[in-house]
Amino acid sequence: MKPKFPSPEWLNALCEKLNNDEKYSVIAAKWEGDMTIVVEPGGELKEPLYYYLDLWHGKCRKVAILKSQDEEKPAFILTSNFDNISQIMSGKLDPMQAMLTRKLKVQGSMAVIMRSVPTVLDFVRCAREVSDENS
Amino acid sequence: MQPITKINLSTQKIESISIPDEWVRDYLGGASLGARILYDLLTEDLDPFSPEAPLLFIGGPLTGTLGPAVGRFVVCGKSPATGLWAESNCGGFWGPELRFAGYDGLMVIGKSDSPCYLKIFDGEISVQPAEKLWGLDTYEIQRRIKEEVNQPKARVLAIGPAGENKVLFSGIFCDHGRAAGRTGLGAVMGSKMLKAIVVKGSGKAPLEQPENFNNIRSLSNRFLKDDVYTKVFHDLGTASAADYSDYLGIMPKKYYSQGSFDEVGKISGSKISETILVGTKACHGCVIACGRVVDLGDGNHRKGPEYETIVGLGPNILNSDLNSIVKLGELCDLFGLDTISMGNILGLAYKMYAEGIITKQDTGGLDLSWGQTDGAMELISMVAARKGIGNIIAEGAKKFAKAFGIEEEAVQVNGLEVPYHDPRGASGMGLVYATSPRGACHNKSDYFFVDWGQTDEMIGIEYYSRQGGMEKSANVARHQNFRTVFDALVLCLFANIPGEMIVDLIKFSMGREYSIKELLSSGERAFNLKRCINIRLGLKRATEKLPKALLNPLEDGGAAGYEIPFEKMIDAYYDSRFWDKATGIPTKSKLEELKMQDIVRDFYPI
Repeated sequence: MKPKFPSPEWLNALCEKLNNDEKYSVIAAKWEGDMTIVVEPGGELKEPLYYYLDLWHGKCRKVAILKSQDEEKPAFILTSNFDNISQIMSGKLDPMQAMLTRKLKVQGSMAVIMRSVPTVLDFVRCAREVSDENS
Repeated sequence: MQPITKINLSTQKIESISIPDEWVRDYLGGASLGARILYDLLTEDLDPFSPEAPLLFIGGPLTGTLGPAVGRFVVCGKSPATGLWAESNCGGFWGPELRFAGYDGLMVIGKSDSPCYLKIFDGEISVQPAEKLWGLDTYEIQRRIKEEVNQPKARVLAIGPAGENKVLFSGIFCDHGRAAGRTGLGAVMGSKMLKAIVVKGSGKAPLEQPENFNNIRSLSNRFLKDDVYTKVFHDLGTASAADYSDYLGIMPKKYYSQGSFDEVGKISGSKISETILVGTKACHGCVIACGRVVDLGDGNHRKGPEYETIVGLGPNILNSDLNSIVKLGELCDLFGLDTISMGNILGLAYKMYAEGIITKQDTGGLDLSWGQTDGAMELISMVAARKGIGNIIAEGAKKFAKAFGIEEEAVQVNGLEVPYHDPRGASGMGLVYATSPRGACHNKSDYFFVDWGQTDEMIGIEYYSRQGGMEKSANVARHQNFRTVFDALVLCLFANIPGEMIVDLIKFSMGREYSIKELLSSGERAFNLKRCINIRLGLKRATEKLPKALLNPLEDGGAAGYEIPFEKMIDAYYDSRFWDKATGIPTKSKLEELKMQDIVRDFYPI
């Protein structure tokens, strides 16, 4: 049974998936940069969540649930509310569409992001594959 | 509304044009109002290079205000390249300055006996001699005229040698390489012996409710500044689109024949920002600042290339040398050439050279092998001067290909060269190119962004698969209507703000209230008006088709294997538009629904 998003189990499952997914390891081979996913309150989520992932050359070196956003200074911060990010994780909302319609905010080097769209999209694929459909 | 003035260069007579209030209500301003003003003047037998041909420079109700990305104006007329409706809008500072000088528009007719320029300073218009300025490039002419009128802060709009030589894809330029590039209006200006128009004003763009406008413009600029689009365009310029367009197979390569090119990473917006970028340039009051300033290592600050220039002068000819793209683009700007059309025709020339259709005997010894750029540099100069093979290339892709018996190989629609958003990767662009009122154009609807996922619930723009078919036809039409409103205001397409903010900006600038539905109707009305102009100029349904190259599936890349179901899409599009499928003419009921009774009479006489 797949873990539900968002949960500590989900974050660990995603880390494991990223470290064992052959396609991701190839596509993300040149990726260098950690990130925090900020899930803003909405729906059943009453308090914000901060999921930290240290991603490096196609592997996930570390994950952590932060108490506050300031605990880490990652290269990238992805921010979305619970409803929108749940839709991304369940495959109902395309991540690029979310970004273009203000449903997903991205902070960090745009040069790296635009050059690495295939990596970002494959990261989302991995996240979707470990998520419970009813997330 | 401020006056729109007409000047006859043959007689030097200056008079104000009377604009009925209902035209402003129905068409707002910019290209839409321009179409209504020119509707009766653009006839099938009008030679775009004749003294009678009008050339209209016009702003919109937002031009020159401090609204979001509103530094633009538009030039309208009859295109010498297509024989159809011509419009081309331009950023920078010239459009705002014209409004500061007291005019919302300027129509030029007639022809000067000798080279001249127009001087417009705070309501005073005069014709000045320009014999000594004829032949100058588009940057030097700005410097010289500012010096001559002793006004360093004046704004100069000018043509280069290409416009003087009536190259059919020459544009009109101002500021830091800002261009009304498409449809060959630079050649129309050249035919009138009009080298430039210098403007200086001490006024302000008029506002009906300044305090309310100030609040909404501040809000909308903050909203825009926070948008991810803005961040991407600010950081990387329009070339930011290169990486993702390449990934999706939307970026054409090797004259639209190849789906992948491993070296795109060497010339993308990301690469520019990490290597040669030294600054940014913004149009009047713009928070985006998508313009690039680059240094190639020689200490000279140059204009950095936009997406279209990157692709047309890069992967289109299998060139991945960023420095050469910058220099080729700069050369086009100096001569006053549209880089989209020039790049397209270069690709065609390279293809013809590779296939032995043209040889070194034809090119005057130039090597046009794929990836070689020295030949391109020289060929651009030959086109601007109409020297050698440059003389036939200066007539555009369609005539160039036809001269060598391969007209169907030219990647153009209705005489305008196709830009660099391949409909095999974003199928909505197929309809956009085929039905654009000015020939193949990506700005009358930047639907590729919708195919990327840029939907808009408030406007009713929905998402369909980027390689979908007829199910998206009505959505494309709706998006065209929406973007026609932008061309009326004149609002930059990058002003990604909600429709309700646009409604308020209009309300407080013009003092007129529209609902979003009424705004879209205004856009639809103007789109149909331009359609009616084109029908009268000879547009036929049969010519609204995609060139052969775009109907062949690509073998590789992100769009591989997809064949655009164009006929089904355009049939559904005509249905959604209520256009007659045989003639392409808007139905009487549609024109009446849009309250275009004055136009109905011409197409459906009682």
